[in-house]
Amino acid sequence: MVKKVSLTLGALLLLFPTMALAAPSTEMLDIGLNSLWVMLAAVLVILMQGGFILLEAGSTRMKNAGHVAGKTIFTFGLGSLIYWAIGYGFAFGGDGNLFIGLGDFFYNPPVLYEGEAGGLSSPIFFVFQLAFATISLTIAFGGFAERAKLSSYMIFTVVYIGIIYPIVAHWIWGGGWLAEDGAQDFAGSTVVHLSGAIAAMAATILLKPRIGKFNKDGSANDIAGHNQVYTALAVLLLWVGWFGFNAGSTVAVGDGFFGYVAFNTQLAAGAGAVAALLITWMVLGKADIVTMLNGALAGLVAITASCAFVEPWAAVVIGLIAGVLVFGSQKFFEKMKVDDPIFALSVHGAAGIWGTLANGFFATPELAETAGVGKAGLFYGGGAGQLWVQFESVVVCGAFVFVASFIVLAIIKAVIGFRVTEEQEIIGLDLSEHGTYGYPEQMKKAAQQNLNS
Amino acid sequence: MNDPHYVRLLMDIGSAEHTSVLRTLRDQIHERMEAMLPSLPVEQFYKQLNEAHDALVRRVIRLAEAETARLGMGSPPVPYAYLLFGSGGRKEQTLSSDQDSGIVYEDPVPGADRAAIEQYYQFLSGMVVEKLQEVGYPPCEGNVLSSNPQWCMAIGNWQNQMDGWLEDPEFEVVRYLLIIADGRVVAGDERLLERIKTRFMSDLLNKPLIARRMLENTMRHKVLLGVFGQLLKEQYGEESGSVDIKYGAYIPMVNAIRLLALQNAISETSTLERIEALYERKAIGGSERAVYRDTFRLFLQFRLMTMELMEDGMYTSNGKLAGRKLTKETKEQLKGGLRIGRKLQKHVEKQTLRKFR
Repeated sequence: MVKKVSLTLGALLLLFPTMALAAPSTEMLDIGLNSLWVMLAAVLVILMQGGFILLEAGSTRMKNAGHVAGKTIFTFGLGSLIYWAIGYGFAFGGDGNLFIGLGDFFYNPPVLYEGEAGGLSSPIFFVFQLAFATISLTIAFGGFAERAKLSSYMIFTVVYIGIIYPIVAHWIWGGGWLAEDGAQDFAGSTVVHLSGAIAAMAATILLKPRIGKFNKDGSANDIAGHNQVYTALAVLLLWVGWFGFNAGSTVAVGDGFFGYVAFNTQLAAGAGAVAALLITWMVLGKADIVTMLNGALAGLVAITASCAFVEPWAAVVIGLIAGVLVFGSQKFFEKMKVDDPIFALSVHGAAGIWGTLANGFFATPELAETAGVGKAGLFYGGGAGQLWVQFESVVVCGAFVFVASFIVLAIIKAVIGFRVTEEQEIIGLDLSEHGTYGYPEQMKKAAQQNLNS
Repeated sequence: MNDPHYVRLLMDIGSAEHTSVLRTLRDQIHERMEAMLPSLPVEQFYKQLNEAHDALVRRVIRLAEAETARLGMGSPPVPYAYLLFGSGGRKEQTLSSDQDSGIVYEDPVPGADRAAIEQYYQFLSGMVVEKLQEVGYPPCEGNVLSSNPQWCMAIGNWQNQMDGWLEDPEFEVVRYLLIIADGRVVAGDERLLERIKTRFMSDLLNKPLIARRMLENTMRHKVLLGVFGQLLKEQYGEESGSVDIKYGAYIPMVNAIRLLALQNAISETSTLERIEALYERKAIGGSERAVYRDTFRLFLQFRLMTMELMEDGMYTSNGKLAGRKLTKETKEQLKGGLRIGRKLQKHVEKQTLRKFR
């Protein structure tokens, strides 16, 4: 115990060295603990990039594995610089208006905490927000998978992290006009997930389906991912990371509310996995693992907006519906001949919309008050008012991200080209974009066999 | 059968001197059968078609024997029988069935050159399998072929092998036993196969372990009906939207009826004949007999509608019924049949578990 206290104090002293001489006050402890919690949450969210690396690599083919994994780290790095330089300022800059934030470009945070009581260290808040922005970016890149040029990843990172994402974040979280309307999106079903998915949709529409995804008669082929174990591990990593994502979004520990948020998160994720497995079993006659994994993620995406606003039973219902929805959505996009290699449109898009709307039904008056945003939902006597606000935020944010992303990507397509050549796509992006294979032994052997046959 | 054109074709098969001629005759038979498809009752259709297949196989065997002799290997040293398994054994071949075959020959008399005899049948069977490919019959993917030494043996060896199998019934072995249950002599000495079959029929009924294993094997292919009573269709590929009639309707029913037949020591190989025999032995009632017969006829009919393909000059089929061929009416028919099939599977399962606990 003594050891723990001295460790905590040591950590606090590192954070707040000027206070070293005085005994820590309650306020100091508050600020310190909030900061520690959000730092921990940020680390968890950053680790979700690892989840996405495994998810994307596992869901795609061997010949693209090194590229898919590597570009995630690269765009995370590039995105961090862009968010620091401009993105953060547009999202949270103090001199803005209802449409966009301004100020704090090339963000230079105060070294020590100097705000009011109950807050948290500013650079930690920045890191936390940065983690969210780059997660949204990685989701968007799901729509690029297996056929986009590396250069398009770079350009889109700059525009998405620099402008598109920050504007939506500002509208809902940065004191923008949707925040004024009382839009409830606790940890980002709309801001992070729907935005990412909509950008992915713009990309996948412009890129067109991968070679071999659809037949001439319109039927779809199953381009199976090369490693289902990666995909399953990815979901576990994302699931754990989500506790940082959702529970961390309380950005405070004082009243222990983050525990309730985490609790709801767990219920919805479980319900999503169960519902997705059962629905495939019932409809297809076989329990589909990929859909089950997507169901768990869909449950998480859906509860992201609502985890702080709903009761446990509602969290279960939200997760169950998300699990069924993701299956239907996958089938729908396939029927529409939209190639969605990582299922970003279904997992983050369809479930993101549902999770945001769910607040309009299930938000309780007490929890809306605790969170300090919006009103009760339809089932709790709040009438249709909140549902309308939720609907509005989905439509407006979705439309904005789609149009903005589509324009940017269309320009890329027209000016430098968006998609690799057919030959490059067939030999794989590992070789065409980077000159080495993610799995050198296997791929070289396969290439040799091709030559000999 | 009084169609002179058809009789003529069968006679031509019987006198053809080369596989290329047989191939042409087969193509003519296909044309004729396809033209008859809408007008002929399904049982008649299968009967005529399987007679034609049998005639082709018999002629190929004769040609192979003759060529073997020409090559200096002599004529058959001991009596033998050429066996058909699978749909051939059940007299349920479609226009695109593959070869599942075997050979059983009489034990050599003491002092005879066993190795030479073995060599003769190895050579002959290789020749038959090759010639049948020339006539458009692809070889069995599971290698149940007379050219495979495991399926080409003297009767004594067959019986020894059978005894070994019955003592140690692993999964693969049970599959072999079920294959042999459908076996039929297409050419040669009928009694040879009978001697193999009697051996295992009597043993089978006394071995609950084998009965249970057979049940597991038999139930492996599920009827393609979902929990909402919907058809379970292919999801991906060129075949998406199609229904796997072979493994989702026909085979489950074949398997279930075969198991009932084996449990009642019925030696018939065709599914419809097995249903009749089950009724005669009072193993099933009159209404069941009618329902099973109608359902199986329906499946046979659907099987004829599955996609025909030509691969490397051989007639094949993927056993799947294209989605566009599924009208609302046929869909309902198929679903009705599948519900019966599912009930039958459950009935067989219950009965086997009760009998062979």
